[in-house]
Amino acid sequence: MTNLSAVTVEPPRGRAGWRSMLPRWSPKLGVGLVLIALITFLGVIGPLLVGDPNTIRDISLTPPSGDFWLGTTWTGQDIVAQLAHATRGSLYIGLLVGVMSTALSALFGIVGSYIGGYVDEGFNLFSNVMLVIPGLPLVIVISAFVPADQRGMWTIAVVLAITGWAASARVLRAQTLSLRNRDYVAAARVSGEKPWRVITVEILPNLLPLLASQFVFSVIYAILSEAGLSFLGLGASNSSTLGTMLYYAQNSFALQREAWWWFVPPGLIIALFGCGLALVNFSIDEIINPKLRDIPRRSKAEASRVPEPVSRTDDDVVLTVNNLSVVYQVENPVHAVKDVSITLRRGEILGLAGESGCGKTTLAYAINRLHRPPAEVTAGAVTFHDREGGDIDVLALTPGELRAFRWSKLSMVFQGAMNALNPVITVRAQLEDVLTTHRPEMTKAQRKAKCEEVLKLVGVDVRRLSSFPHELSGGMRQRVMIAMALLLDPQVMIMDEPTTALDVVVQRGILREILRLRDEIGFAVLFITHDLPLLLELADRIAVMKEGEVVEYATAQDMYEQPAHPYTRQLLDSFPSLTGERGSFVRSGEQMTPVDRSGEPTASGGVR
Amino acid sequence: MRYYVRKFAFYLVALWAALTLNFFIPRLLPGNPVDILMARLSQRGGTVDPSARRAFELMLGTNSSESLFQQYISYLGNMLRGDLGISVSAFPAPVSEVIATALPWTLMLVGIATFLSFAFGIVLGTFVGWRRGTWLDSLVPATTVLSAVPYFWLALLLVAVLSSAWGWFPLQGGYDILLSPGWNGEFIGSAIYYGTLPALTIVISSVGGWLLGMRNMMVSSTAEDYVLTAKAKGLRDSRIMIKYAARNAVLPSVAGFAISLGFVVSGAVITEQVFSYPGIGSKLLQAVQNNDYALMQGIFLVITVAVLGANLVVDLLYAVIDPRTRVSG
Repeated sequence: MTNLSAVTVEPPRGRAGWRSMLPRWSPKLGVGLVLIALITFLGVIGPLLVGDPNTIRDISLTPPSGDFWLGTTWTGQDIVAQLAHATRGSLYIGLLVGVMSTALSALFGIVGSYIGGYVDEGFNLFSNVMLVIPGLPLVIVISAFVPADQRGMWTIAVVLAITGWAASARVLRAQTLSLRNRDYVAAARVSGEKPWRVITVEILPNLLPLLASQFVFSVIYAILSEAGLSFLGLGASNSSTLGTMLYYAQNSFALQREAWWWFVPPGLIIALFGCGLALVNFSIDEIINPKLRDIPRRSKAEASRVPEPVSRTDDDVVLTVNNLSVVYQVENPVHAVKDVSITLRRGEILGLAGESGCGKTTLAYAINRLHRPPAEVTAGAVTFHDREGGDIDVLALTPGELRAFRWSKLSMVFQGAMNALNPVITVRAQLEDVLTTHRPEMTKAQRKAKCEEVLKLVGVDVRRLSSFPHELSGGMRQRVMIAMALLLDPQVMIMDEPTTALDVVVQRGILREILRLRDEIGFAVLFITHDLPLLLELADRIAVMKEGEVVEYATAQDMYEQPAHPYTRQLLDSFPSLTGERGSFVRSGEQMTPVDRSGEPTASGGVR
Repeated sequence: MRYYVRKFAFYLVALWAALTLNFFIPRLLPGNPVDILMARLSQRGGTVDPSARRAFELMLGTNSSESLFQQYISYLGNMLRGDLGISVSAFPAPVSEVIATALPWTLMLVGIATFLSFAFGIVLGTFVGWRRGTWLDSLVPATTVLSAVPYFWLALLLVAVLSSAWGWFPLQGGYDILLSPGWNGEFIGSAIYYGTLPALTIVISSVGGWLLGMRNMMVSSTAEDYVLTAKAKGLRDSRIMIKYAARNAVLPSVAGFAISLGFVVSGAVITEQVFSYPGIGSKLLQAVQNNDYALMQGIFLVITVAVLGANLVVDLLYAVIDPRTRVSG
């Protein structure tokens, strides 16, 4: 993704990492904690403050009053007193089941996947089988076989724990498997630490948020299930829980007698407690997956950008970026692109070089307005000089105009075509939806012909149209991306690290292809990479970016012969040279001439 | 192909595990169910013929001279033939017959309600995830509250309000008892009318889970590169949302649908109790109350097989919507 994603995610590991394990404060978390605290107070302290819940009085079903805040039951018992004791019972069951089933899921999920091999396979099969066997019918059957007088709290808790751990085990297993392969865990294993030590010291702390979330989940599950069982008359005997209270209320026709004060409160307490736990769980989920954090509501107010489109000065220019600034509006705003001006001439390859995080990708996205909040263009202009005449102020386009502009005038090839193609629909569908959107007048046959034409242009077999992206090799995916970018005959193509993550031979083939297509079709390319030497042989002109600013902007020739900025020299020197002489990194330029494209072995037959 | 073989093998193992569980539960727990059952049977004036007793013994275990292993083999044989014994509470009907009459009711009610709930949840979740940072975000905690409410409590309150007080829906049952069951318009209309409120309660209490899951996956998938590509391609928002973001985000929900079926069936037991619905859940409870162990175990088995079968169907469907599973299997 963008080079600046590092601004928001991935808490560092280590002592500071512990702080990242704590939930971020949010109103949801606050409300959740207050609900849990109040109900826990009712269950723990409440029974000490109220009278005997079983005292029978001759005041049947009295509505709430000063003496009895929530009225009385059919047999005149005080409902507040009953609630306090019943809450205690339900919390007790919830806690028991929560502890037991979390322990079971940790055993089967973490230990199994850590040991690996047959143990893991076996444990995993067992968890999956337990997961698909329906829980409540099993609980009912088990409860029915245990005679009522032997069916205590513990029996119910054990049965609920046995039937409720499997889903958590699966989640924990997946997470442990990914942790197990991380470097620091592998290092600990290689250095001969004992397995239990690796698990408790290296793995467990990282799983804590997940364990906490699974624990919270199983407490909710237990309290709800116990209530359900009690309602069916299969709950713990001789005990008082919110479920048994509801059972008695229901069997005394509390609702039919309109004694809502008997029926409503127990359910409400369960609901509020469950709700409190769920709200806390949201906060825990946000630790596990930072993407889920609430983002501030979108403000309607647009940035106070003064529109300052540049009219064309020279017919040769296709794109002008003028004093563009992009800021990530986070707590400490990050100025990712600072006052950048570049011009792109027709048919030229302009290289944009710089290390990761220098803002080059942010700049490229902002040109096409693909930057996402919190990134925001705060100043400057992007002007597109159409070859049919007329200038387009890209930053001022309405959403509809912007959609029409994208791809037909300016298309993009993204870094690592791995994820840039939709994994679940075919190559054909992904090529054709460009045409159906931008060229609705085309017939089906014309669309097919066009798709085949562009695939042939990049040297991909047309039979690949019905393939899914995962069936293509990395090089082929990138060729398909380029073919897609050619579909509407755009005047500008922005290429963001199009050859990174490909092996050198494939990379050569693709670069040669780009040069050839540029020569044949004549689009301009904004080529973004961290590989400055590559640009020296590929690009006509090069802009070097550092910390959001263009520090050097010159023709490739000049930059090679006399790099002006110390940072450029540093970048050039940082690439190893075989002979020890600066400059010998340049890969023989002659090979780059677009002559043959047979040199790529994986291009035609490279199905993985 | 390997994917399908693996799936079939897994469900065979799961089925075997359920059968085995069913065999051992009554043998491990206290009490002597066979004697209780035989006593009940003779109370009802049923003649205790030896083959009936044998079927019970195989299913529930007793102190016979046969080894556990032999009992287990004969039990598996009985199960494969579909011989689940004779129901005591509905004497002299065989268990399989009792189940056959009740099963369609549950399948229709639970099947339709679950499908509706899934569909609503996915559609709502798609919108909430796509329009992140708008007022729609507040739907998430709201539906969570609904999922934390005890199901039967909510259902009973709805019955009290919608049926007792306002008289919009019938109080209980699966159809107008004045009609005789049959495939005619009047009866089917009545069944739909009686099933609406139970189905509604199921949807209300389960839609929140689907919504939350889908919304969270949408949040992840809208951050993926292929969505960015789709935007750069100038596609319409609706197309990006459906074909790119939601199409990928729905995959875990479909996989989860299989797993949730077990919970859904469990919920149906309580639904049917609340509404005195003539399905398999109320038969299960009736069996429990009458110590009709044979019927109880038969129902448990049928429910398990139904859930496993539905799981298998979903897994096969999953292979269709996610092309990657077909190769990597």
